Amino acid sequence: MQETVASRTVDARPGSPARSGGEQSNRLATRLRMGDWPAAWLLITPVLILFGIAVVFPLIDTIRLSFFDIKGLAKPKFIGVGNYVKLFTDPAFRNTLLTTLTFTISTTIISVGLGWMLAMVSAFAPRQTLPFRVMIFAAFGISEAVAGYMWIGILRPDAGGLLNAVIGLVQPGFAQPWLGDPRTALWVLIIAASWGGVGLPLMLCFASVQSIPKTLFEAAYIDGANHWQVMRNIMMPLSLPGVRVAVFINLLGALRAFDIIYILTGGGPVRSTETVGYFMYRESMTQFKLGYGAAATVVLLVAVLVVSIPAIIQRTAGAR
Amino acid sequence: MIGRAPRWPTIVLGIFGFIWIIPIIGIVMTSIRPLAETSRGWWRIDSFTLTLSAWQRVWEAYPLAPAFVTTAILAALATVGTMLLTPAAAYAFHFLKFPFRRLLLIIIINAFVLPQQVVIIPLFQLWRELGLIDNFLAVLIPYIGLSFAWSIFLVKNFLEDFPTEVVEASRIDGAGPLQTFWYIVLPNSLSSVFATGILQFLWTWNALLLPLLYLRTNVPLPVILARVNGTYELNWDLQSVAAIVTTVVPLVVFLIFQRQFAAGAETRTGAKD
Repeated sequence: MQETVASRTVDARPGSPARSGGEQSNRLATRLRMGDWPAAWLLITPVLILFGIAVVFPLIDTIRLSFFDIKGLAKPKFIGVGNYVKLFTDPAFRNTLLTTLTFTISTTIISVGLGWMLAMVSAFAPRQTLPFRVMIFAAFGISEAVAGYMWIGILRPDAGGLLNAVIGLVQPGFAQPWLGDPRTALWVLIIAASWGGVGLPLMLCFASVQSIPKTLFEAAYIDGANHWQVMRNIMMPLSLPGVRVAVFINLLGALRAFDIIYILTGGGPVRSTETVGYFMYRESMTQFKLGYGAAATVVLLVAVLVVSIPAIIQRTAGAR
Repeated sequence: MIGRAPRWPTIVLGIFGFIWIIPIIGIVMTSIRPLAETSRGWWRIDSFTLTLSAWQRVWEAYPLAPAFVTTAILAALATVGTMLLTPAAAYAFHFLKFPFRRLLLIIIINAFVLPQQVVIIPLFQLWRELGLIDNFLAVLIPYIGLSFAWSIFLVKNFLEDFPTEVVEASRIDGAGPLQTFWYIVLPNSLSSVFATGILQFLWTWNALLLPLLYLRTNVPLPVILARVNGTYELNWDLQSVAAIVTTVVPLVVFLIFQRQFAAGAETRTGAKD
């Protein structure tokens, strides 16, 4: 059941049977559309108003504000690309860019890599592994704020911290302040963020593996292939559509991360865990440099758009 | 797969599954044992005392009960708003003809890539001018407005498989576009509308950033958790209760509806923010 629903969505891309059916119904629908527009506007006006306030206006206004110097309630001063020049000469921001890159790529590799691997392993015994898949997926259902709090408990440097206690088994007296040390804070943040992130790639890749025709496996086993060869030559290449979707979702999620950073590290120590998404919050909402924060947001926006180009092209082409 | 399933996948998944729920077990144990015991490690069982003391004291220590009510109200209103407005717009986009239809559709369904950070500064200034800071509308408007970027895509995708003959027949029988929506299309697309509602409920219940910035007095649970977490008090037991109270409702909803969620998250994208 789970498998059917998820695989259906994975399949629902241009060219698949589901889409061509939609195309046909759309052509039929065109005939009904004459003289509909007053009703149409009645139905979409509330959506357009709310979407305009919550998305279109902020998007345009953020770009506009990024060209202004705004200090508190004083009158904003137009400074052209001044904020951007300042951003890229600010060592803190350049460090933030590096942190964002490390955080985004690492969480995506860990989440998708582990999720993909576990999906293929569990495909050898789908029914027996179901409860464990649910356990891993459950972590995805826990909000980032609560997940951050849970990890504080694991990472605490006193005797109550589980991580130090486990390492203490082989190295007695081990007491690393994981979150207080700028050298380790980013990496434990990455692990904490990946903990919640594995569940979705696991489910997407599992659905992708499940949708591979069973006859392929039968043929491979009859030809004498072992589990490893089946995994390497059939499951890995044929589950790539699911992996691609999971990578995209994780990249987007990591770029916009805020909650878990806010709870777990607050960007510290000494700004070592600030990503661009957190930097803009800090500059605009705690330092009240709204124009500077807006410029950082535009940089974040550019990163998001670059990552999203294939998805945007696909959605735009599919919009009828 | 083929023949009898091998044993090793179950062992591998079992190990990972167990490791994965350790953080959850951790806060549950911390919440039901005395602080003196768990500060030496919640996993130690040399002396094990069960107590509900933290569960009783927490309501005095932190404003959890009012925050629970606030969270429920906000999540309910945002969910109902999205569930009412989304199907109407998705129907119009799919079955009706009107000027700029495709352009508007492309703009709306591509907005799902935008991070929340984009709305923060402009809406902060706007709400300050309008005196809406600390008003529920300050978060409800972006909650609902932002949801359309994924919800309309989700419901419209569902409508692509909707039998056009039924809509056609209804129009030939003299039903107007609104009647066709209300009596024919809406009652038959409730599953996609509910899937939208579940995703929106989870997202708004867990939201931290927008209420953190736009609300002051009546704040939802994640904001309370962030506040008590930032105090550096060593009330691990009370804080663990607060964390459990914050997450229990969305976690149960998530586990019940996980099938729909795995499918829907793909259109929602980065569903955890």
